[in-house]
Amino acid sequence: MLIPCPLCGPRDALEFRFVDETVRRPEPQSASPEQWRSYLYLRANRAGAVTELWLHRSGCRQYVVVERDSLTNTVTAARLARKEAVS
Amino acid sequence: MIVGGGVHGLATAYYLARNHGLTNVAVLEQSYLGSGGSGRNTAIIRSNYLTPEGVRFYDRSVKLYEELSTDLNFNVMFSQRGHLTLAHNDASLRTMRWRAEVNALQGVDSDVIGAAEVGRLVPQLDLSDTAHHPILGGLYHPPGGIIRHDAVVWGYARAADALGVHLHQGTEVTGIDVEGDAVRGVQTSRGPISTPVVVNCTAGWATLIADMAGVRLPITTFPLQAAVTEPVRPFLKTVVVSGSLHVYVSQTARGELVFGAAVDPFPSYSMRGSLQFTESVAGHVLELMPALAPLRVLRQWAGLCDMTPDFSPVMGVTPVDGFYLDVGWGTYGFKAGPVAGETMAELVATGKTPELIAGFDLARFAEGRLVGERGAAAVGH
Amino acid sequence: MTRLQPQPGEVIDRDRPIRFRWVGRDHQGYAGDTIASALAAAGVRVFGRSMKYHRPRGLLSADFHDPNCMVTVDGEPNVRGAHRLVRAGMDVRPQDTWPSLRFDVKAANQLVGRFLGPGFYYKTFMRPARLWPAYEAVLGRFSHGGHAPSEPAPERYDHRYVHPDVLVAGGGPAGMAAAAAAAGAGVSVLLVEEEQELGGHLRWGGPDDLAALRDLRAAMAAGSVEVLTDSVVTGRYDGNWVSVLQRAGAGGATGTVRERMVKARAKHLVVAAGLIERPYVVGGNDLPGVMLSTAVRRLVNLYAVRPGDRAVVLSANASGAAAADDLSRVGVDVVRVLDARAGEDITRIRGRSGVQAVECSDGTVVECDLVVTAVGWTAPLTLLTLAGGRATYRADAARFVATGLPDDVSAAGGLVGDGTLEQLIEHGRAVGRDAARRAMRVASVLAAGVPGAAVPAVHDGHVDVPALQPAPHPELFLGATDGIVDYSEDVSAKDLRAAVREGYDSIELAKRYTTATMGPAQGKLEAVNSIAAVAAATGADLAATGTTTGRPPYVPVSLGALAGRSHSLLRRSPVQGWHDAHGAVPLYAGAWIRPDHYGDPVAEVRAVREAVGLIDVTPLGKFDLRGADVPSLLELLYVNRWRKLDVGSVRYGVMCAEDGVVLDDGVTGRLGPEHYLMTTTSSGADAAHDWMERWLQTQRRDLQVHVTPVTANYASINVAGPRSRELLARLTSLDLSASAFGYMRVRTGRVADVEDCVVWRIGFTGELSFEVHVPAGYGLHVWEALLDAGADVGVRPFGVEAQRILRLEKGHLIVGQDTDGLTQAYGAGLGWAVKADKPDFAGKPELAWQLMREDYLHLVGLQPVDGTAVPPEASQIVEDGTRIVGRITSSRMSPTLGRSVCLAMVAPHLTAAGTTVTVRLPGGGSLQARVMPQHAHVDPEGVKLRA
Repeated sequence: MLIPCPLCGPRDALEFRFVDETVRRPEPQSASPEQWRSYLYLRANRAGAVTELWLHRSGCRQYVVVERDSLTNTVTAARLARKEAVS
Repeated sequence: MIVGGGVHGLATAYYLARNHGLTNVAVLEQSYLGSGGSGRNTAIIRSNYLTPEGVRFYDRSVKLYEELSTDLNFNVMFSQRGHLTLAHNDASLRTMRWRAEVNALQGVDSDVIGAAEVGRLVPQLDLSDTAHHPILGGLYHPPGGIIRHDAVVWGYARAADALGVHLHQGTEVTGIDVEGDAVRGVQTSRGPISTPVVVNCTAGWATLIADMAGVRLPITTFPLQAAVTEPVRPFLKTVVVSGSLHVYVSQTARGELVFGAAVDPFPSYSMRGSLQFTESVAGHVLELMPALAPLRVLRQWAGLCDMTPDFSPVMGVTPVDGFYLDVGWGTYGFKAGPVAGETMAELVATGKTPELIAGFDLARFAEGRLVGERGAAAVGH
Repeated sequence: MTRLQPQPGEVIDRDRPIRFRWVGRDHQGYAGDTIASALAAAGVRVFGRSMKYHRPRGLLSADFHDPNCMVTVDGEPNVRGAHRLVRAGMDVRPQDTWPSLRFDVKAANQLVGRFLGPGFYYKTFMRPARLWPAYEAVLGRFSHGGHAPSEPAPERYDHRYVHPDVLVAGGGPAGMAAAAAAAGAGVSVLLVEEEQELGGHLRWGGPDDLAALRDLRAAMAAGSVEVLTDSVVTGRYDGNWVSVLQRAGAGGATGTVRERMVKARAKHLVVAAGLIERPYVVGGNDLPGVMLSTAVRRLVNLYAVRPGDRAVVLSANASGAAAADDLSRVGVDVVRVLDARAGEDITRIRGRSGVQAVECSDGTVVECDLVVTAVGWTAPLTLLTLAGGRATYRADAARFVATGLPDDVSAAGGLVGDGTLEQLIEHGRAVGRDAARRAMRVASVLAAGVPGAAVPAVHDGHVDVPALQPAPHPELFLGATDGIVDYSEDVSAKDLRAAVREGYDSIELAKRYTTATMGPAQGKLEAVNSIAAVAAATGADLAATGTTTGRPPYVPVSLGALAGRSHSLLRRSPVQGWHDAHGAVPLYAGAWIRPDHYGDPVAEVRAVREAVGLIDVTPLGKFDLRGADVPSLLELLYVNRWRKLDVGSVRYGVMCAEDGVVLDDGVTGRLGPEHYLMTTTSSGADAAHDWMERWLQTQRRDLQVHVTPVTANYASINVAGPRSRELLARLTSLDLSASAFGYMRVRTGRVADVEDCVVWRIGFTGELSFEVHVPAGYGLHVWEALLDAGADVGVRPFGVEAQRILRLEKGHLIVGQDTDGLTQAYGAGLGWAVKADKPDFAGKPELAWQLMREDYLHLVGLQPVDGTAVPPEASQIVEDGTRIVGRITSSRMSPTLGRSVCLAMVAPHLTAAGTTVTVRLPGGGSLQARVMPQHAHVDPEGVKLRA
């Protein structure tokens, strides 16, 4: 599986570390236990198109938002996380 | 209506019929029986877990496995050849002692042994102290062993069938009908079925089935790979596990060495194996047993594992009346098959959650009471 | 069999005889002979015995996939005897010989034959259950294969990485043509051939084939194609990641590399694997002397071996006719050629230790010692199906073909269809040109993804690949009588029929139940016949029955080749060489090697408590943090408060995950207004780095912070003990006096003439101590300078074990030892650090909720009532005999106090100071221990470290 790192170009997935699905962090001051634990534990775990956070650990060390098909492992896009709209 | 024709689904159906006299039970399997995790795992059985709850639960499973050939009149070839987890550092020795002590208090045979005894059990291991992962000792669990996984599936299927359970292969569940907060039926690739009870006994697809009932799960699905070598004459009696090296090895009755490791580094529903897996497993096996270099890997495969945050399953009721869960089995589902079937059958038949599985409820995540098996993470086989 | 006169295409070198041993006796072959051909030339017909029935077995396909010729060579088990070349002095032994190769175990056959039907395991040996282990031991005799070696061999294995534009799997005519055409189009090409020489079926063909082969090889030699022979593509993985096992030639000049795994990131993969000939399933088809037509042609033409004296040929295609011609040409009496296309058939093959006669469909019985079958071909589609292709059955051609290949994979030649040699070559050429074009397009796409890379131009011309269709062929799988379907697993057509009858009625279930196609050949010869047998039993056709899932590797790959050269990557501090030279006992801690102790950890503890000691703490994770917003980052990462940390101060921080579980701890110092040095645990350094960057890159992109990992940039030395100030003062101009350099303060300066050292005053050991972070290149210098300067004050090095004792005496926890995967900050006794009024930090909500609960374990100091007893770490604390209410997390005999001391996790009702708990000891017995008012056993007031 190749991930097209926006800085380094296409690289083997072994250079990256899968971090998590992209999930929104609730406001810690006001989150209810259910909301916070949903953030901690519940995942969509979709079969098909997924949006995930990866880290180009053995490369540029940038967090990358990866669009991937979890059925085929085909990566369709990868963007720098720091350039994403704040979620 | 039981979704999933693997060992969990078939065992649940069997115990519903045998223990509770309920035979108006159907098992729906999208492919052939045992085509999922039940036929893809490395068939290791053990009960030397870390928490008292875990130990009691898996110990019941081992007891059921011990009786299974007689019970089902089908030889499942449970070979209690001993299960040895190697310690390469002080920290793992300490965790092993923890496990051994908890096990002893639950009456489960499992002991911390020294390097010399490890060498007596498995002479092929490299016990030199120059190794990067020197072998300092191990946790030896004599009742652990291996089993013929297909035989367990077939044995339960034959026995359930004989008791009147309906087995539908090639029948994929495409929807679950929920009215109000209760199950009314399922949609399948072969038509709708009306039912008040659906038990989700799937692995790999547990999230997708639960989504159909509107129940969210704390699950992420990861492939778990395994490989076997060409057969060689029997030489390795014990199941050997190294947590630090993320590898486990056993030799089947046919002479093949079976290798497993931790789940893949990223989630996927793809079951195509990777070269990285066989390379790393080979490297780790040779670190342990360097003489095996000429042995050849014959085939590799992958299964899907539904990982939960606390390395424990999700069993029991859900907010949807009649929708039950027996999911989240991570990498330890096969060894729990019989006890999961027995307890789920009891839950479905009596409406009361058996004490053995009370701690595995779905609500624990929202309530922040995770199961302590997370303390013994790493490779849990 | 005997050696024939020289043949036109023979590959043996008659000038180079080679002697080797077989079953302990000397034999001779020639250079170029395989083990099987040399033995066959010497008259050997039986190479092994079958797995279950122990029937004698001889050559069947006479190539790598021959299931009947697995041997052990110099201790290496499961060597393919029909592929491995003879080497002088090699010791070859048969396998699966019970009790011996020559002795015909008729009695044993009858004994086991009664119960060895399909799935016999599952239906027998159940009662009495207590005898199962004994049964199991007997069943072990039915495992097959050679013996695993018990000692490592001296040869090594290796890996190589290549990046060909086009990789061609298969060096037959189409593969060679494809490789040459692709190279001609200007791309780099790697051609991989499984056999020892290029050529495929041309090698054992007639004069025209040999002439064509010479031309193709000449073109290869003249071109730029890299050729690997005796090498095989074993797998195709996502992203055209292609694994190639290189067998011969891997040794290079030294000859010490046994096999090499060549890993290719191919821009395009061409599979030109040719065809594999299929055996015929009929009674007696596993007798020695029953061979495939291609086996006969190989033996005669490549190795000049006479396969028999009287032959009967069953033929449905040109290969059968060619084999009959070859046999006639070399003087074998071809007594009958049965034309399967005309309905002629063999109904049974008779014989005991070899073929004696065949029964023909017209009722005649023909005596012979050789039966040759040419009944059809199997396309080895594994690489194509691994790439996502689908195997589709073509009844008209009696074989499966692949459809639906991805853009970066194509197939060429016989794998696709049949044709004349010219047509195959033309097909290969076109596929090769097309492959080059597609590879260039991939190169262009890849380059476009790299910022700043030059993107090569793409010539988007179209290549017409001529259609190549499989030729019509009769469906010939199962004969009139039951024969063996899977040779290596000893599964017959009858077994498969029985399996279906018992309900294992799909190909996957029947395969698993009978183990057909699960042996070493992985179904290359047998898969289609297995499908045919299941189809026949279920009444379905082959298309509906379908195939089983093909799985990598294409051929078995040694663990050695997969593992490659053995690497042991260890991180070493610049002082580690000194430790090694001074009697340090090594401790492997994660990636690091460290001194556990230097022979006497108790004396090391005493030195620290009474004088001064040095410990190398280089593995501590270290991060250089710069920027205006460092305090904001630290406020998020740690539960503590950081805003008020002034320049020159350090603080101990506790890091929790979002679930409130203690993740890491360490000291961070403020070196300048916008400059901090942060330390983490050694094992947690990488995770902490990822975690920091995650906050900065995904949550708080507004923060201006630069994080630089500097773990390896500094050697870190902790100088600890009441005389540490005195010692360090001798090497630095920094004012170390208590008033000028207080506890939890940091300075930057010169130490032992080394500039830019960071010195901070902390106290993990509980003593007055200074931690010196030295630019790594000077680490050894400063270490030695400290030892030299401190001889008179009793300085000595101490290791990790002494540090563990010291910190336990002081009651400092170790994350991951005194905490576990569920321990939140309050349970670890770290609640004092939590600043709940901060607006945000990792784990804040969970810690707030933890305060409202009472159901978690608490870390406490604990002392056994009997101070001479040390309960081992992980001993359980119990109530009522068996109920677990806690555990010992750390324990040691304290040299300072002369009694045992512990840290323990206990249930909430046991936390009050003075509570007595029962500790159950491993191996029996128990002891009483008392909960202490605080974690620290030595100097709880902290007088010493503030001195």
